[in-house]
Amino acid sequence: MNQIEMKHVGYQYNKTGEQALIDIDLTIQSGEFVGIVGSNGSGKSTLARLLNVLLEPTEGQVLIGGLDTHKRENVQQIRQKVGMVFQNPDNQLVATKVEDDVAFGLENLGVPSSQIRRRVDRALEQVDMQDYRDFSPHQLSGGQKQRVALAGILAMEPSCIVLDEPTAMLDPRGRKEVMSVVQDLNQQKNITVVYITHVMREASRTDRIIVMSEGKIVRRGQPAPIFADIDFMNKIGLSVPPVTELAVALRKKGLNLPDIMDVDELVKCIC
Amino acid sequence: MHMLIELKNVSYIYEQEPPVTALEKINLNIEPGAFIGLIGHTGSGKTTLVQLLNGLIKPTSGQVIVDGKDIGENKKGLKDIRRRIGLVFQYPEHQLFEETVYRELAFGPKNLGLDKDEIDVRIREALNLIGMDFDKYSDRSPFNLSGGQQRKIALAGVLAMKPGVLILDEPFAGLDPRGRKQLTELLKRLHEQQNISFILISHRMDEISYLATRILALKEGHIVLDGSPAEIFSQPEKLKEIALDIPQLTEILFRLQKKGLEVRSDIFDIEQAADEIIDKLRSRNIC
Repeated sequence: MNQIEMKHVGYQYNKTGEQALIDIDLTIQSGEFVGIVGSNGSGKSTLARLLNVLLEPTEGQVLIGGLDTHKRENVQQIRQKVGMVFQNPDNQLVATKVEDDVAFGLENLGVPSSQIRRRVDRALEQVDMQDYRDFSPHQLSGGQKQRVALAGILAMEPSCIVLDEPTAMLDPRGRKEVMSVVQDLNQQKNITVVYITHVMREASRTDRIIVMSEGKIVRRGQPAPIFADIDFMNKIGLSVPPVTELAVALRKKGLNLPDIMDVDELVKCIC
Repeated sequence: MHMLIELKNVSYIYEQEPPVTALEKINLNIEPGAFIGLIGHTGSGKTTLVQLLNGLIKPTSGQVIVDGKDIGENKKGLKDIRRRIGLVFQYPEHQLFEETVYRELAFGPKNLGLDKDEIDVRIREALNLIGMDFDKYSDRSPFNLSGGQQRKIALAGVLAMKPGVLILDEPFAGLDPRGRKQLTELLKRLHEQQNISFILISHRMDEISYLATRILALKEGHIVLDGSPAEIFSQPEKLKEIALDIPQLTEILFRLQKKGLEVRSDIFDIEQAADEIIDKLRSRNIC
């Protein structure tokens, strides 16, 4: 099933007149793990905000599970289907206790309290934060906060999660925590994931990447062959992981190697 | 001008219930001209350490000595220390506030009591150092610049004070790859061409290994590793213990060593590493 469909989508910011997105056509299937990369100002965050109707396209159409985001009556249902996690962990938690924070969205929806309990428990387990339910958010590390933010979204039982640079403000441990929880959710719960990131090592772990530059999609496909075109990536302001750079450098010096994205693979190919 | 910084038995305890010991009996010399990479997990004491270095907080016990003088001893000296040890905070662009780049950069020098001409010279120099054209940018609002440019302006504001030591706290956070690369090269150039010592706090091991001449790793308020990048990253188990990564390039070279290819592991440049691998493969006569 098509989870997300964007048809000739454009977006122009009213205030500045800036055209943030130009003629975007994109289909994402249910259960896919899609990475979106691009330099600052390339339009990635604008695109993300169209997916749960924080913005409406100024041209074209966005369909979520077949529902048109232009139609007012669809908005609530779409926001339940598509959850969003943002960059700054400190701006996303509102309650004074972890479990209250996770329950917040459900209470707003008027879900009965017996059900809230069950869904909060399950969501906290899915992100491995069940032992922190009574903690105050300020006692948590950045990675833990992002996992709680994720739990708040999981409690809504979405079919798709959109993450906008969720690890940009985290340390390496926090990054790994968040990435591995997101991968589990995708693989085990079959949740569709749209993952926006500057961290190319994270992007390289997705099924498919969309590369954006100046409001357009300029490449799409599996990460390895796209990243191997280092000159193109650099031209649009992106870098590739050191392992890919090394593989390309070795290839230029005459070693016969395929497009490589991870350390295991490179080591295996060399020795 | 180069400066020598010494920490003698420095401890810092946050007075709260229960008290938190952020740093414990730190002894450390920072030699003039060094480029120090300060690494450690969140909460290891990195930020406390740099706040002590420029006198923002005072040690609970022990001494911070700059060019032979204890900075805790006189208030007047402290102002001078803060000028000479520049601190660029995390997300420094959030603290930009003036209407034009020119006025933003004039703010610090004006506070030093410099005259108009000298301020003008400093602003031109600072913009030149960060590679931004004076005529193009001086009248622009800092708020209409890109995030990467805003961060460079914040850095220029500190450079205009002519510091001897520059401390940067997670300067790469939130920058896109292009911005990160530009900033990395800028820091390298400043270190090579200006008489400035650097202390760089970052989680990004690829950048740290490329820039630093010496790495300090903190864990729970103690310095647990101190050495050149080659020395530090040759101990991957120790780094994992304190929850830090090694640069990906280093990891690859180690893994090749384990598989019996005798490559050097103290290389932090992609081209050089590729040459090394090809070289060793040839001498083994495979490939």
